[in-house]
Amino acid sequence: MKKNSIIVLALMVMAGCSSQNAVVPEPAPVSEPPVASLPPVPPAPSGYGFDQWQTGPLGDVFFDFDSATLSADAQEQLRQNGVWMGNNASKTLVEGHCDDRGTSEYNMALGDRRAASAKEYLVRFGVSPSRIETVSFGEERPFAQGQNEEAWAKNRRAHFVVK
Amino acid sequence: MIKLFRGVFFAIVASLVLFPSHLVATEGQEYIAIRKEGAGNIALVLDKLDAKGRKETGFAQDLDGIINGGLDFTKVFSIIQPPLNVKDDSDRKNIVINFPALTSVGAEVYVGGVVTMKSDDILLDMKVYEAAGSKLLMNKTYRGSAAALRSMGHAFCADLVELLTGKKSIFGSKIVFVSNKTGFKEIYECDFDGYGVEQLTKSKSICMNPALSPDGKHLAYIDFTSGRPTLYIKSLAGESVAAVGKSAVSIDPGWRSNSEVAATLSFDGSQAIYLVNTDGTIARRVTNSKSIDISPTFSPDGSKMAFVSSRNGLPQLFVQDLVSGDVKRLTFSGRYNTQPSWSPAGDKIAYTTWEKGGEINIFTINADGSGLMQLTQKCGENKSPSWSPDGEMIIFTSNRQGKEKLYVMSSKGGNERLLLQGDGEQTQPSWFLFR
Repeated sequence: MKKNSIIVLALMVMAGCSSQNAVVPEPAPVSEPPVASLPPVPPAPSGYGFDQWQTGPLGDVFFDFDSATLSADAQEQLRQNGVWMGNNASKTLVEGHCDDRGTSEYNMALGDRRAASAKEYLVRFGVSPSRIETVSFGEERPFAQGQNEEAWAKNRRAHFVVK
Repeated sequence: MIKLFRGVFFAIVASLVLFPSHLVATEGQEYIAIRKEGAGNIALVLDKLDAKGRKETGFAQDLDGIINGGLDFTKVFSIIQPPLNVKDDSDRKNIVINFPALTSVGAEVYVGGVVTMKSDDILLDMKVYEAAGSKLLMNKTYRGSAAALRSMGHAFCADLVELLTGKKSIFGSKIVFVSNKTGFKEIYECDFDGYGVEQLTKSKSICMNPALSPDGKHLAYIDFTSGRPTLYIKSLAGESVAAVGKSAVSIDPGWRSNSEVAATLSFDGSQAIYLVNTDGTIARRVTNSKSIDISPTFSPDGSKMAFVSSRNGLPQLFVQDLVSGDVKRLTFSGRYNTQPSWSPAGDKIAYTTWEKGGEINIFTINADGSGLMQLTQKCGENKSPSWSPDGEMIIFTSNRQGKEKLYVMSSKGGNERLLLQGDGEQTQPSWFLFR
C-alpha cells in the first residue's frame, strides 16, 4: 500500500473564520409545461445556445437558480434543436449541469431534472425518446470558472452532445 | 489493497495477546455513577511510562506521545502534569503512588504504566487509579510488536474512555472521504485522527459519496466510470463490485442495515429513494413525490429515514416512517436545508443550511423537530456533517481557509480542528465504527 502524501497535523490547528459574500438564492417560478409548436426555423450557428463550450449543431439551454424550468429562450433553442434532430439521425446526449453553489448531492439531482426537462420538450416536439440519453454532472464539471453570476449562469445548463 | 483496507487497526489489536487482564468493572461503574452528568472534562494525571533499558525507554516515549495524543483528541479529559512527588520508588520493588499529591493538584484519575520487553514483543502494563479513593480501577497488559505501538496505545485509550464514560470510544474507527489530489475525485480512508490515509478507488473518473455498511463489509459510493453516476456496492472482503443496473443517475447512498443501502435512482423519471440489496438488486421504492428526494439517513433501528426533498419548493428535511409510510417535515428554519446525518444515539440529526449571505452552516435538530442548535458560524461553507461512532464529535468539510478540507468538532459545537493537511480538496467524509 502506498503511503499517501497527505500529512497529518500533529497539532490540530484552530481555524480562523471569516464570513464571505455570495448571492442569496431565490425560489424558482413555476411555469406551465412546454407545448410543441411550428413552423420550424433554420438552426442558428450562434446566439443564445452557442458559446465557447457549445460549437456543435445543437445549442445548449440555460436555467435560473434552483430551477429546471424552461424559459422562452430555452424553449426556442430546443425547438431549433428538434428541427435539426428531425433532419439528422444522430443520437444525442443531454448533460445537466449546475453552478457550484448549494450542496453537491442536491445539485446532482437538479442537473438530472434539467437534462430531463430538455429531453421531455424534445420528445413532445416529436423526437423519439430512444434517440436522447440524459445524464447529470451536478456541479462536478463547471464550464466557466469564477464566483460571480456571469459564471454561475453559464454553468446552469443542459449541454447537448451529438453522438 | 482493498483487503488490507479492512481495518489494519483491528487486525493488529486482535493479534495482541492480553496478559493478566483485571478490568475492575464494578469500580468503573461506581466511578461513572459518582460523576455528575455533564460534570465537564475528567481531570487526569497521565504519568510518564516507566521503562528500564534503552530500547524500552524509546518505546515508552513513543507510547507516551501516542496515548497523550489519543486522549487529548477525545476532548474527554483535562490532562494535568504529574506532580513531582507523585511516585515513591525508594524501595525499588513496590512503587507507591502519592495520592494526596494527586488530589492536591485536582486530579480525579491517575494513569501510569510500565514498558518491558519479552523476546521481540513490547509489553505495556497499564494501571488506572481513582485519585480520591486510591482505588485501582483497571490493570491491563497490552502486548504487540514495535509496528503495533499505535494500536497498543489506542487500545488502552479505548479501554480507558469506555471505563470512565461507559461509552464506546472512537479509537479504531475510520473515516472515508473524497479527495481530488490526483486530479480526479477518488475515495480514500484514514483513521479517526487522520493517520494512515489510503486510496480506495482508482477510477480516474469521479467517485463520490462513500458510505460504509455498519459492519464495515461493504462500501457504497457513486462512480462515473460508465459515463453516468452509478451506485456501486463493493464487498471489501471479496473485492467484488455490484453496480445498480438501472440506467439514469444514482445519488448519495446511505445504509439502513448491513444488507440494505438506500439511494436515489432516477430511472423512473423522478429522483426517488429506493432500498437496494448488497448485490445491486432493488428491494423496494421508498419515496413517491415526483420531486427531488435525496440523501437518506436512518435511525439506528432502521425504522425511520430522514431525507431531503424539494416537494415544497426549495430543499427541506423530512422524516419518513418506513413501516407506516407517514412523512413529516422536520425543518422549518432556513430556506435550503440538505445533507442530513442521523446520530448514532438516534436522538439528533445533523444537517447543513445554506444561509442568506452565502454561508453554509451545520445545525443539529432533535429527531422530533425540537432543539435546533447551530454549530458553525462565520466560517464560509461548512458541509457534509457525519457523526463519530460515539456521538461525541462531528466531522465536516470547510473552506474557511480557502480549499475544502476535513475538520472535526464537538457534536455540541466548539473545538473545531483541521483533521488533514494535504494536496487538493477533501470532501464528503463519513465516519464509521470498525467493529
